[in-house]
Amino acid sequence: MTTKAAIIGVGQSAYTRRPEPGQTVHSFMRDAVVAALKDAELDAKDVDGMAVASFSLAPDTAVDLAWKLGLSLKWLMQDTNGGSSAVNMLGHALRGVEAGAADVILVIGGDATGLAGYGRVAANFNIVTQQHLAPLGHGGPNGVYALVAARQIKKYKLEKSDYGHIAIAQRSWAAGNPNAVYRAPMTMEEYLAAPMVADPLSRYDCVPVVAGAQAVIVARADRAPQGRPGVRVRAIRHSFNYDHQQGDGLATGISTFANELWASAGMKPADIDVASIYDDYPTMVLAQLNDLAFIPDGNLARFCRTTIAERKLPVNTWGGMLSAGQPGGFAGGLNGISEAVLQLQQRAGARQVKDAGRAVVTGYGMTMYRYGGTAGAAILERGL
Amino acid sequence: MTPGVGIWRCANCRLGVFPQPLLCPRCHGETFATDRVHEAVVEEISVIRHMIGQENWQPRRIGSVRTNDGQLITVGLQDESGPGATIELFQEDNAPFGRAKA
Repeated sequence: MTTKAAIIGVGQSAYTRRPEPGQTVHSFMRDAVVAALKDAELDAKDVDGMAVASFSLAPDTAVDLAWKLGLSLKWLMQDTNGGSSAVNMLGHALRGVEAGAADVILVIGGDATGLAGYGRVAANFNIVTQQHLAPLGHGGPNGVYALVAARQIKKYKLEKSDYGHIAIAQRSWAAGNPNAVYRAPMTMEEYLAAPMVADPLSRYDCVPVVAGAQAVIVARADRAPQGRPGVRVRAIRHSFNYDHQQGDGLATGISTFANELWASAGMKPADIDVASIYDDYPTMVLAQLNDLAFIPDGNLARFCRTTIAERKLPVNTWGGMLSAGQPGGFAGGLNGISEAVLQLQQRAGARQVKDAGRAVVTGYGMTMYRYGGTAGAAILERGL
Repeated sequence: MTPGVGIWRCANCRLGVFPQPLLCPRCHGETFATDRVHEAVVEEISVIRHMIGQENWQPRRIGSVRTNDGQLITVGLQDESGPGATIELFQEDNAPFGRAKA
């Protein structure tokens, strides 16, 4: 558990499906940073550390962003771990503050690739993708996770509607999030009638690409605004290239550390009030929840039809990326962390989970070949 | 079009690997011989019906296959082969494809 460091502020830019002229990843990041500083009741001159992750910041790097934000720093990093970058940066920032390397660290994620730009990212994600997948017309991550979903459906005897329960529940949560790009309620009929994108994945199984940015502030706990204690991190773990892409992708890297994570936090899944699970696809929400032992009987179908459909476990209460939008996996992961912070500080407005005191957040990403190769998870607790 | 798909076989432990590694994931051996696998069984398929950022996209079939040497490879399917079907593999540049075994 962190003893000195806490998450003391969160901020978000607008999310938009189609950026207007003049809106760039830099401007979205600025907006998120300004919002996070305001939320933490800090001035930019208080910041002495920064972590950033983005597909579309290039050719700029972290130090260019620091320059453009007017920040002089003594701690700086740039992360490249996609959907797990947010949890990864959170871990680095916590350890940075704990070690005394910095007092106030901005953690930023954002993207504004546009749809065509995202297509280029998807086709050039790594050398393996360039050489062995893109020439097939594999459809980017949608094609990769279509095959994982087909495997999951077969192994766990799922129905298409089981994924629908996740998408519908998250859309229901999104109604309470004014920043979500899709907030209208969705019925199972609408979900099942949506056009197929990459069988068996249809439109509402795939995250909508948006432009936007997210920031959180990790700092010494005594820098938190008066009367609003920062959120503590009870445990955090990471995994990289856990199985050399030689498994079925239905267990993520979280499976390698879940027991250790719970033991380190001194908690169990039943102690959790809110879960922010990285949701590029419902398939991977189920995989991560299973890895975290939220589905102890391994019956994923029952879990979807009861626990999710009947809202017994609040999962992705801001709507998740499936409804709020995915401004790249980097900011998408940070959005899950930000939501957990808001919930634990009882600031989530219409979507507030009553008396939420403990949350789990995850990240999952880097589709190296057959599925994602990086993952992270953290257990957060309301500060006292 | 080249028959079979190129793999890399560790000179130390004989594990066949695809895509190309730098060190063997099993024994960390650093020397590989090239080899080819010619046959696989389809395990899962998908039809890519939409490609982000592209217009006039024509649906394409892809499959996750297990080669007769054990590698798990994603291939472009050039026919209606489905799960359980045995296919022959071939390669165009570096990209693996498959179709029903003649």
